[in-house]
Formats: sequence, C-alpha cells, structure tokens
Amino acid sequence: MRPILLIALREFAENAKTKGFWIGLFLFPIIIFASIFVQELLEESTPTRNYVVVDQSGLFEEVIEDSMASMRRAELLRAIGEYQSEYAKDKPKLSDIDLEKVAAPDLMGETEAIEQATKSFGDELELLLGEQGLDAVLAQMKPLLVEDAPAFERPRPRFRRVALPEGIDASLPLTELAEELRPYLRGDRKVAGGEAVDGQVELFAAVLIPADIEQELESPGDAMAAMMAAGGQAEGAATERRGIQYWATNLADEDLKGRIDRAVTSEVHRKEYLARGMDAEQVADVRDIKVPLFSLNPNKSVGEEEVSMADKIRQWAPVGFVYLLWIAIFSISQMLLNNTIEEKSNRIIEVLLSSVTAGELMMGKLVGIACVGLVMITVWMGSLLTILKLSAGPEAEFPNMLLDVLQSGGLIPAFIIYFFLGYLLYSGLFLAIGSVCNTLKEAQNLMGPVMLIMMVPIITMMFIPKDPNGTLARILSWIPLYTPFTMMNRASADPPMVDVVGTLILLVAFTAFTLWAVGRIFRRGILRTGQPPKIRELFTWLRAE
Amino acid sequence: MSDSVLELQNVCKTYGDFTAVDDVSFTIPAGMVYGFLGPNGAGKTTTIRMILEIIKPTKGSISVFGKPSALAVRERIGYLPEEKGLYKKMRAWSIIAYFATLKGMDRKAAKRRAYELLERYGLKDFADAKTEALSKGMGQKVQVLASIAHDPELIILDEPFSGLDPVNQEVMEEVIRDLKERGRTVLFSTHVMSHAERICDRILLIAGGKKVLDDTIDGARKTIPRRVRVASADPLDFLAELDAVVGLVPAETIVAIGSEKLLTFDAQLSDKGEPIDVVKACLERGVHLERFDYSPPSLHEVFVELVGDKAKEASFR
Ligand SMILES: Nc1ncnc2c1ncn2[C@@H]1O[C@H](COP(=O)(O)OP(=O)(O)OP(=O)(O)O)[C@@H](O)[C@H]1O
Ligand SMILES: [Mg+2]
Repeated sequence: MRPILLIALREFAENAKTKGFWIGLFLFPIIIFASIFVQELLEESTPTRNYVVVDQSGLFEEVIEDSMASMRRAELLRAIGEYQSEYAKDKPKLSDIDLEKVAAPDLMGETEAIEQATKSFGDELELLLGEQGLDAVLAQMKPLLVEDAPAFERPRPRFRRVALPEGIDASLPLTELAEELRPYLRGDRKVAGGEAVDGQVELFAAVLIPADIEQELESPGDAMAAMMAAGGQAEGAATERRGIQYWATNLADEDLKGRIDRAVTSEVHRKEYLARGMDAEQVADVRDIKVPLFSLNPNKSVGEEEVSMADKIRQWAPVGFVYLLWIAIFSISQMLLNNTIEEKSNRIIEVLLSSVTAGELMMGKLVGIACVGLVMITVWMGSLLTILKLSAGPEAEFPNMLLDVLQSGGLIPAFIIYFFLGYLLYSGLFLAIGSVCNTLKEAQNLMGPVMLIMMVPIITMMFIPKDPNGTLARILSWIPLYTPFTMMNRASADPPMVDVVGTLILLVAFTAFTLWAVGRIFRRGILRTGQPPKIRELFTWLRAE
Repeated sequence: MSDSVLELQNVCKTYGDFTAVDDVSFTIPAGMVYGFLGPNGAGKTTTIRMILEIIKPTKGSISVFGKPSALAVRERIGYLPEEKGLYKKMRAWSIIAYFATLKGMDRKAAKRRAYELLERYGLKDFADAKTEALSKGMGQKVQVLASIAHDPELIILDEPFSGLDPVNQEVMEEVIRDLKERGRTVLFSTHVMSHAERICDRILLIAGGKKVLDDTIDGARKTIPRRVRVASADPLDFLAELDAVVGLVPAETIVAIGSEKLLTFDAQLSDKGEPIDVVKACLERGVHLERFDYSPPSLHEVFVELVGDKAKEASFR
C-alpha cells in the first residue's frame, strides 16, 4: 500500500509541475469567467454609435427618430430597474425564487422585452424619463433604497444620430453622397457631435434613403414579375442598388440596421393599410395579439407540467458535465503518456521495478492521476460556483439553488459514478499505450485512433439532449467506451431502466477487464525495448501466465 | 560471514532460440565484494536483472537472503542499472530521497540522508539542482547514491564506472570500499579490470552465458601459466629449448632503444621451471638482457586468455 501511495504522490507532484496541468486547471474557469463578464464588459465598453440619416424622400426620418427614441426609453427603464434592484432596501432574496416555477426564458433580449411591454405608453414615458420626470421618479424611489445608494447615472445611449458633416450637400445623388461620406465611415475623418472633448466623433453608419424610394417598394408578386420580365437576368438589378442604403464598416453589429429596417417597413405597411382603406391603428392592435404558448412535459406531475427554468438547467447541465469529463480525460492523457515514457526511455523503470511490483507501479500511477483529476474537478466546480456567486451578488444563493436543482434530478450521483468509471477506463488505456511505447512519437501514433474514438462524444454531445432516448443515444450507451459520456448526457431524460442498469454493469465489467488487461500489458510492455508489439502479440500477453 | 547473501542454482534464460544465460550457479557470502566480469553480451546484465526479479529466469532458482523473491527483501537490496537515467525534472536530493522511501525509508530520514550523501561524495552544490542540469557523470553519481541511500546490505551495481572521469572513478571505488568496510555485500559488473583487481575479494567471470571462473583474484591469476617477460637486442629463440620454459611468445611490439631494436618475448614457465633458470641461460650464452620482468599475470591477461576468443566471437554474432 505504501509504495502505491508514494508513487501516486510523486506522480501527482510531477504533474502539478507541468504547464499542461495549470493550463487545464485555469482554462475552464477563465472560459466561464470570460463568457459571463466579457459580455457585460463589452456591453459597457461599447461606445455610443453615431450615425447619420439622409432621407431625401422625407418620408421616414420621423419614424426612424421615433423608433430610436423608443429604444432609448427602454434602455433607460432597464437601467432604472437595475438600479433599483441593486440598491433596494429589501432585495428579494434569490432563494425565494423557485427555479422550478420560473418559466424558461425566451430568447428575446431584456431591452426588447421592456420595449414591447411599454409600447403603448410612449408619450407618458417620454415625459416621465425627461430631466424633471426622472428626478421625480428617483425622488420617489429614494425611501425604498439603501442609505448609501449612489446617484443614478443615465446609461450611455447605444446609438445617437449626428448631423451630416458640414459641407456635404444632403441633396446630392446617393452615389455621390456615399462617396463624400466614405472617409468618415472609414474612420479617416471625424464628424462633429456627441460629448467627446473636441466635439469630434467617429461615424459608425450612414443611412441613405433615396427620394424615389416609394417606387422601389417590392412585394413578392412584383419580384416574380420582375424576374419573368428580365428573363432571369436578375444581376443587373443588384448592381443598381435602388433602395435604402445602409453604409457601415462594422458588419457584426447589425442592431441599427435591423431597427431602421423595421421602422421603415412598418411605416410603409401603415401607409399601405391606409391606402387600402384599412385602419392602421386597428391593424397594429391586431398584430399585437399574442397566443399564449406553454411548454409542457408529460413526465411531470399534474399542475407542474410547465417547463421551468429548473427543467432547462437539468436538460443542459449534463452537456456541461460531459464536456468536463472529456476535458479531464484529454488533459491527463498527455501526462500519463509523458511520465510513463520518461520512465521507460530513461530506464528508471528498472530501479522502480526492483523496488515495487509492476502492479503497484500501475496502481500508483492510476491513483496519482486520479488525484490530478480530482483536483481539477474540485477547482473547476469551486470556481464555477464562486463565479456564479460573484456574478449574482454577494448574498445570492444561486449556486446553492443550482446544486439543489441538480440534486433533485438525481444527477450528481450519476455524474460522480460515470466520471469515476470513465476516468479510470481511459487512464488505463493511456497507461497501456505508454507502457508499450519507447518514444513519444510512437505513442502519438497509437494515440491517433484513440483520439478519433474520443471525438465521438464531443460531436454527439449537443445532439443527444435533443433526442436522449433515440436510437443513436441508445446504441452509444451500450458501447462501454462511450457509456460514461452518453449516459451522462441522457441522465435527465429518464432513460429506460434497462439502459441505466445494463450499461452500468457492462461499463463496470469492461473497466475491470480493461484494468486487468492493462496490468498484464503494462507488466510486459514496461520492460520492452524496440518496436511496439503487434496486436496479435498483445493477445498472447493476455493469455500467457 | 558464512551465510550466503545470494545464491543462484542452474539459472537459465532464453530469448527464443538464443540462450543468454546458460546454467549459471554461484553463491555470494555476506561481506564480500564480487566483481562480475565477462565480455559484451556475456549475460551479466541479464543475470543481474534476474536476481532483482525484473525478469524471470527460464529455469533454475535464485534466492536472496534466503528468500526466493528479491522484492520480498527489497529494502535490503540496492541496485544501479546498466542504463543510467533519472527523472529530469526532479531535484538531486529529492530523487535520492524518493528511491529511498520506495525502499521503505522514512521520508524525513531519507531527505536527511540524501543531503548527507551528496555532501560526502562531492555533490553538495548540486543537491538542489534539477537532474537535467547535471552532467552525465554527475547524474550517474546521484543514481549510485540513490541506490545506496537506504543503506542496503546487498548492493548490485551494473557497470558503475562507465562514463566517469578518472577522479570520479576513484570516488566510485571509495564508495565501494566504504560499503565493504561497513560489512555490506557488493556485486558489480565492469569491463575495467584494474578496478576489479583493486577492490574485489573475488571475481565471477562468465562468457557466452556460461560461468567460466569464480575465484579470488590470486586464484584467478593462477589459472594461467607463470611467465617472465624478457627483452633483448640479441636473438632469444634458444629460450624455447630450455626445460624450464614451455612456450615462447612474442609480446608487445618491437621497442627501439637508441639505434638497436629490442625483441620482447613472454617465456611461459613449466611447473618446475623458475625465473632464475631463464636468467642463468642468458648469462651462460652472454646474451645481454635489456629487460627482465617476473610478475604475476594481470587480471587483464587472465581475461584475455580465458575469454578472449569468446569475446571476439560475440562481437561478430
Ligand atoms: N530482451 C532481449 N531479447 C533478446 N535477446 C536479449 C535480450 N536481452 C539480452 N539479450 C541477449 O542476451 C545476451 C546477454 O545480454 P546482456 O545484456 O546480459 O549482456 P552483458 O553481459 O550485460 O553485456 P555488456 O557487457 O555489453 O553489457 C546478449 O547476446 C543479448 O543480445
Ligand atoms: Mg550489461
């Protein structure tokens, strides 16, 4: 027992000294951290985007202004809401929220949701959010806030319209206008406006609306007709660009473009309704009617069928665990190979084998590498929970709730079992490979197929939750090398009992067999020099005493 | 002194059709320093690995401290393998301490002992260096120290002198002598006869997997005929006719002193022949002897005489 511990200890210490270990250790928290905070940071640090609008038709300027104002109101409302909940005296405790009851969120962003909800109060809001209105609101809010709450700061607007740079004639033909604006859009020159010290800001986008825009309106029927008329020569139309022109170098941020598109389109629709004798107001009302739609799950008891936040977590958490297991196995593979091959190529192995049996050496290595895995998982889980805690505020109980949710689904024990078995199985394989190779190069050749095998769970990881009890998932579950990944993946979808018990027994048996076989291969391989053995030779090793 | 530390009985090892060790038996009593000699490919390393249970003999039995398994008494054995190597990223002291703890030593004691040994054998400054920063010879010394750190009773060293400079070869000899003084049993293989000559109590010579000789140094010398070495500018052929001489072989190359060319011969003496008979014969004939040398044969000569052919054969195998 003592030699096993000593070897495990050295193995662990050795690995803890490698770069790979530390990279593996911190990569995961950093990715999580980045995905949570960088997004916020990006949002905060994105500068206000300045744009110009030249509407030669004079038809849409106003609706665009309105739409941007509505967006700004929503932004402000959101900021006020956040301000209030941040500094509220009696903050609702997160622990009072029951994730089981909270409906799974839609994909719509928060600002848009606010905008939708407050659509019909445009004017009132405009008043409320003006200088004086806002002061009054804040004054009313004051008693509800904690004593030392800082003053409310208006968030920077995301978009701001600026005037056309001086000396550019708004009535020029669009092509020439665009030519004039080009240096500004490319950042070579700046436009006046905004709060910048020198009053000069970068131009983000230019929206150019031609005077004859109304002749360019398309409807599906027109397009077809045009195609027929042109006899399939549709390319000519594209080069002429007869429509609204949206100029911007930034192709990724399309919010402004989308918003202008929506504003203009709905204005066109409104006019069209009028022209066709329909009541635009009523049409708008009709379009706001929503059909309530609930996601329900027949597996849940009556009254609680609605798909909740907790259900979503339970559905997707396994993917996270599959990924963790995969990363863990991937990062130990190198360590196991390196260490075993170092011992072999330096012939340290002889000294070791004069002190311990091959079995003890193998066990020591497995225990050592298991400790590495344990540390990794602990650090990962710890950092995940800490980051969640930090990002949800100091008193937040969110991580605990997350754990509760996972626990209630019986996921945690499943993860532990599958993680342990999967880890053991793959460590054994890597150890066997290391023991029959003399150089890292040889080992890498052998690792190729293993890596190929290991790609499968990563590829199927995202599909399996969508059809957790489908044929593919079931087949993969019965292949021991994939059982830990796939069964973890399926854990929250109530897989049939046969699958759960059957694959577990198979996995345990297979792992035990593998370790036994690896023990034999290890004992012979470890002293071997020269070419790695052929598969046939390996089988004779297994059979021989 | 009389109980045997190591006993091999009819040990064989075959690799496929090839017999690497062929029916070797020997016994090493406690407190002895044993030199394990033999040409390349003789089977020394194979034998040593079998003793340490790293590989299993095909036939025969080995007992170490009366036990059939070396692992059962691992804390009493120290081993330096033929191919030297250390963990590159570990520090000198920690590698010594690690191997000592694997052999059952307490961790604290092992650390203390590691520093002690490094200081004693001139590696004090490198105690905290990573082994990849050591030269090959220094690394080898560290490894030797690692093999004796747990103060084993039986120390088996496979070519401990290879790769060491003359000074460190002396240090190595000192290490072995120290061990001997403290009553330890040492078995070491080497290709340098002078080391064996200086520090061994007995030598074990094998060739082609078979035991050729197991004797004291003196005993080994007696295995080849006594001879005198003579050199002269005059012809010496007449010596072959003497009753005291059984053979006359030209030895060494022709050496010139001044303008004269000297011929050197080894005159092998018969059982009854004495060196003085050769001198007398020369005086009678008025032959002027430039050199007369009567000393027991060196181990080197014994080696070449006994296994020289085998060694050449092996090199062409
Ligand atoms: N694993 C092996 N497979 C096949 N033959 C082997 C193996 N190991 C050793 N031999 C053979 O056994 C013979 C004895 O080898 P061994 O290493 O014991 O020689 P040695 O006496 O230590 O030689 P040296 O002085 O060169 O170290 C050699 O001819 C060698 O080719
Ligand atoms: Mg050898």
